[in-house]
Amino acid sequence: MRAPWARWVPWVALALIAAVAVGLAANPGSRDDSPDARLESLTRELRCPTCQGLSVADSPSSTARAIVDDVRRRIEAGETDGEIRDAYVETWGEWILLEPQNSGVSLLVWLLPIAGLVLGVGVLVVALTRWRREPRYTPTTEDRELVERVRGRKEDPGATGAR
Amino acid sequence: MRAAIGYGALVWGGAACVLGIVALGAGLRRSDDRLLLLGRRFVFAVLVAAVVAVAVMEWALLSHDFSLEYVAKNGSLATPVFYTAASLWASLEGSILLWMLILAGYLGLTAYRFRDRATDPLVAWATITGLAVALFFFILLLGPANPFRLVAGVVPTDGPGPNPLLQNHPLMAVHPPMLYLGYVGFTVPFMFAIAALVTGRLGEGWLIETRRAAVLAWGFLTVGIVLGGWWSYEVLGWGGYWAWDPVENASLLPWLTGTAYIHSVMVQERRGMLRVWNLSLLIATFCLTILGTFLTRSGVVNSVHSFSESAIGPMLLLFLGVVAVVGIGLIAWRGDLLRSHGKIDSVVSRESAFLANNLLFAAFAFVVLLGTVFPLLVEALQDRRLSVGEPYFDRMTLPIGMALLFLMAAAPALPWRATSGEVLQRRFRVPAWIGVLTMLVAVLLGTRGVAQVLVFGLAAFALTGIAQQFGMAVRSRSSVHGEKIPVALGRTVTGNPRKYGGLVVHVGVVLVAVAISVGAHWSTSREVRLGENESATVAGYTVTYLGSDTTVTEQKTTSAAQVRVERGGDDLGVYEPAISTFPNSTQGIGTPSVRTGITRDVYLTLISSPNESGRVTLGVAVNPMVVWLWIGGGVMFLGTLIAVGPSARSSLRRARRTGPSPDVSEPTEGDSTDPGPAEVPA
Repeated sequence: MRAPWARWVPWVALALIAAVAVGLAANPGSRDDSPDARLESLTRELRCPTCQGLSVADSPSSTARAIVDDVRRRIEAGETDGEIRDAYVETWGEWILLEPQNSGVSLLVWLLPIAGLVLGVGVLVVALTRWRREPRYTPTTEDRELVERVRGRKEDPGATGAR
Repeated sequence: MRAAIGYGALVWGGAACVLGIVALGAGLRRSDDRLLLLGRRFVFAVLVAAVVAVAVMEWALLSHDFSLEYVAKNGSLATPVFYTAASLWASLEGSILLWMLILAGYLGLTAYRFRDRATDPLVAWATITGLAVALFFFILLLGPANPFRLVAGVVPTDGPGPNPLLQNHPLMAVHPPMLYLGYVGFTVPFMFAIAALVTGRLGEGWLIETRRAAVLAWGFLTVGIVLGGWWSYEVLGWGGYWAWDPVENASLLPWLTGTAYIHSVMVQERRGMLRVWNLSLLIATFCLTILGTFLTRSGVVNSVHSFSESAIGPMLLLFLGVVAVVGIGLIAWRGDLLRSHGKIDSVVSRESAFLANNLLFAAFAFVVLLGTVFPLLVEALQDRRLSVGEPYFDRMTLPIGMALLFLMAAAPALPWRATSGEVLQRRFRVPAWIGVLTMLVAVLLGTRGVAQVLVFGLAAFALTGIAQQFGMAVRSRSSVHGEKIPVALGRTVTGNPRKYGGLVVHVGVVLVAVAISVGAHWSTSREVRLGENESATVAGYTVTYLGSDTTVTEQKTTSAAQVRVERGGDDLGVYEPAISTFPNSTQGIGTPSVRTGITRDVYLTLISSPNESGRVTLGVAVNPMVVWLWIGGGVMFLGTLIAVGPSARSSLRRARRTGPSPDVSEPTEGDSTDPGPAEVPA
């Protein structure tokens, strides 16, 4: 008979391999700061003013293409990403950014889902602990079936209808 | 004349709703079966009214009766018959009419299915609820969304035709009806949920009765959403299929809560838990379909789909408020009856997985809802305009989607109640190894990005788990009954269609998830300017511009470029991306030309027609695996059909059953392969 921990060995190995794979995938080398990559990511953040919610990178419209050209020019002129973003917000307002900012009211759109999720997890944990608290005598399967059958007759349906 | 018949039918339908509600209400009050039977008949009167109204509208459209405002605005002599017929849903009034027809159809089917139980208060209350919803839509149709309004003044001799985007692709004929079949289908379980709350019969009966309707509605909604994406991909020309547009989100929202529901309903069926939650999910799903209609049809958000704007918004919002208040009020009123005898034996169990699933779907829905309405709220409250777009939704939903994918892979193999470590090890050994090895291979082959690699791993994990479940069941069947493999497979599926249908749906989800992930990371898109017979190479595909021509039809003027696509010397054919101009719009509408392939699509758009020097600008995108999105959607629908299909076991049970009352303690169509420790078959 093997030691009880022995059967966990393959699972630990599995977890390690998975971690290595994820680690390798997560390490993309240096961040891509080439002008092309910056253009790509900036134009994905800017909203095409004449379309319906598309980014200027996606939109085939002439306005969007003009903005792409402008952003390319600004990158070539040495402006930083932040400066380019600010310039657009200056002209068009916050609306031009497809991703809401991390400040002011916009912060809510980021925080509320996280708060909601935390709350949900909390409720679930409380519910699970309550549901797991068990009476000392666990009913047998027969008990349970009997109770459920009676309960089912009483309040459930079928054609009879208790109420 | 036609307007009079159509409007008359709507008046008749509205009156039938009122009379039906009165008769059923009185019948319930006095416990008078005759009144209940009478009230039920009005459902069929409503159905007749809706069919007549739609038939009159189609007749008017097809015969170009421009004395009707709707036809004058959405029809034209030049529009092909196919698109003329489909222009029933080209604009607001017709869409609501289609909604009405589908609602009436569902009500009729429900009344027919429960024909033997018409005097059951549960069914009567459900019918009242259904008729009340129908009444609301008749009121819309009689007032702000009247499709039979006559044109003021001189009857025009021709009309502008539907919005160009709606007469550009045959998918437009299927996408909206499918979506509506899904949207409206959720009315049926909603009706029964309200009826259960009103009558206090909150056991599992109402839920089992409407399970098929809910699952089928879900399937239609899934297909509707996928077809919408496909239409967007084939028509809009930006190369994508989903832009987190508010109206796309509106279709996704009820899908998310509906998906949560069809999972959590199983917990209630098996364990009698989550009663309040399931009722809330159904009411929320129904509310979200109304909210979706509000977002689409009131013009409140500026979006691709806001083809129409109308005064209908406030009424929809009011109806939404009424439904929400009534629903929440009823749940609060029945609070004591809803307290369920919940018990969870182990955190590692199927029911716990379903709870986590529901939490995640609820979070997903919350993110989508918040992101969609947030700009509206800020604008309304602060008079500031801001955008919540794709980057936000991508970032927020990615982790949730990953967690859901993991649960989807793991949960079907978890037994109900509790389990031993050994069972878990045995069930997960092979899928987990295959999943992890897939990740490793993907990384070694050069895949980068955590999400990317995880999707591959989870997909392999899920598929192996599903294959294992099918394999085990089929093997044991064929060895016990000596059946051949295909026979055993067929009988396994029909023996428990719900389980195996569900697993088939999961296969579809895996396909969609992998396709989305691959598409997001390996698409290449470039713009090329080419003169005649010049070529450019994008991601291994060589495109050669051959020339262009212009075709003028009554419907549109199309300027098309002929582009030869080649790969590694193989000629893949000539494709014709085009720009069309329709008489009713000055803006050119691009029509992409897509070479659909099993591993990748070549997506060509004509960005600008030939200039003076004869050069065109083409958009060339190479999008991997896109076709698997549509295939995955098809597989999901196939699984849905299996899941609602006839079950060999339940028909056997029905044959055996002697008493009229179904025994709910019996696990209805649970899974046969995993009797958990506490679940020894009697």
